[in-house]
Amino acid sequence: MFVGALYGLLGLGLTLSWGILRQINLAYFALTFLAAYLCYQLSTARGIDPLATLLLIAPGFFVIGVALQWVFARFRVSPFNSLLVTFGLTVIVESVIQSIWTADFRRLESAYGVAKFRLGVLYVPAPELITLALSIALSLALYAALRYTDLGKAMRAAAEDGPMASAFGVNRRFIALALSGVCATLSAVAGVCLALSYTLAPAQIYAWIGVVFAAVLLGGIGRPLGPLIAGIVIGVSEALTMALTAPSWAPLVSFSLLILLLLVRPDKA
Amino acid sequence: MLELKTAIVKYGAATALWDISLTIRAGELVCVVGPNGAGKTTLINVIAGLHRIASGGFLLNGDDVSRLPSHRFCGKGIAIVPEGRRLFASMTVRENLVLGSYCADAKRQRRETLERVCAMFPVLVEKLEDPAGALSGGQQQMVAIARALMAQPRLLLLDEPSLGLAPTIVLDMFRIIRDINAEGVAVLLVEQNVAMALDIARRAYVLEEGRIVAEGAPGELTSQPHIRRAYLGM
Ligand SMILES: Nc1ncnc2c1ncn2[C@@H]1O[C@H](COP(=O)(O)OP(=O)(O)OP(=O)(O)O)[C@@H](O)[C@H]1O
Ligand SMILES: [Mg+2]
Repeated sequence: MFVGALYGLLGLGLTLSWGILRQINLAYFALTFLAAYLCYQLSTARGIDPLATLLLIAPGFFVIGVALQWVFARFRVSPFNSLLVTFGLTVIVESVIQSIWTADFRRLESAYGVAKFRLGVLYVPAPELITLALSIALSLALYAALRYTDLGKAMRAAAEDGPMASAFGVNRRFIALALSGVCATLSAVAGVCLALSYTLAPAQIYAWIGVVFAAVLLGGIGRPLGPLIAGIVIGVSEALTMALTAPSWAPLVSFSLLILLLLVRPDKA
Repeated sequence: MLELKTAIVKYGAATALWDISLTIRAGELVCVVGPNGAGKTTLINVIAGLHRIASGGFLLNGDDVSRLPSHRFCGKGIAIVPEGRRLFASMTVRENLVLGSYCADAKRQRRETLERVCAMFPVLVEKLEDPAGALSGGQQQMVAIARALMAQPRLLLLDEPSLGLAPTIVLDMFRIIRDINAEGVAVLLVEQNVAMALDIARRAYVLEEGRIVAEGAPGELTSQPHIRRAYLGM
């Protein structure tokens, strides 16, 4: 359930840029890990509270997201090419991480790591609760923003018929830059959550891609609540599979669910 | 309020419109007729700012707008009812109308305009929360017009608004266009329904193969045998 919240957080930026910007941006995975390492670095070397590092990391990542979109727009990258380009970016960021922090495992030690909250009969580690809370809050906030604000409606309209949205005054360039900035900021949040609960290693970037894609597709592309709900469904099914069979069966769950969905509702992906 | 001077419009290397000179004065109802593929939609899209002219002049209220980005045309008082309606189909009717008043000036009076538009199209009131794509063709066309009116335009562009509608609804459509114009909004109407369009227009242009081949008051045009034969079947 709690790992599902992290799937949801990772999938949120992916689903929004896929649905609205028509980009399949793998670079969010790399950015998430970059943010996780930055969080690790700032709190281990400088003693800054891990959550407070977000205040430093998030604005920087917003700028990265804006810059990324600027380049995409400048070179008119098509949806398929966006997959290739951002895969390349991911590999680059991975090697940058590896050259700075080496391929060794890194673990953030913080007060959050040992704290636990009692939820009824359950003791839940603080990082997992923080992840769940942030994931729910951000998914709901983006859902509301897309549904109820003019800017959000403009984004949905631009995704549906770009030129028509322009004709009614929507500045599509600006909207794309802003949304890309938001998506990159989301990956910064996911990164901090990742650093709080997981041991980091550069090659782990790729371990997340498959299951998060499954969450995005199951949740419906472009739907802000999709990855969270689908992520939790996947997370719970994985946990059940592990409990009932062997841990090695868990990765099969998300893809079985995905294939099942594609068979039953082929129009959804 | 609008002036195109010897404008040339291209799609890549192919020229779609040649030497177009066209004026629309404030409050005027102008109609453009011509056969399929003549370039009528291209002309409307140019005026809406969706496609740029390759050369020539394009003035709105005296300002050169030939290089203006698409999203600034709405603020200049232009709204479009495009060919095939092009509603934001997955969004509700209300959201479509809200989007119509996305421009700063229109946004300020959104509530009042929405009331006016609902009074004009009473059938839409109970459909406000339905997805626009779920409405019938005639209702969708009304939403498309209502969305454009939400922008509080001074020039309304209509690209074949009666296409695919039942004859009685076509009559309604023409009455509505007339009413809108009577409130002082200039209208540029592209129509296949030439007789009805000429009936309500003050001036008309005939477009063939990307060129304007005739212009003038409807009476002058219908007195030319070539035009009567080609467009009115007489
Ligand atoms: N996006 C485009 N790319 C290339 N050529 C185009 C494009 N849109 C239209 N054309 C060409 O430009 C010419 C004018 O097309 P346009 O759609 O403006 O005609 P129209 O008068 O609106 O026709 P209709 O009565 O069928 O709506 C046609 O020859 C068409 O093939
Ligand atoms: Mg046309």
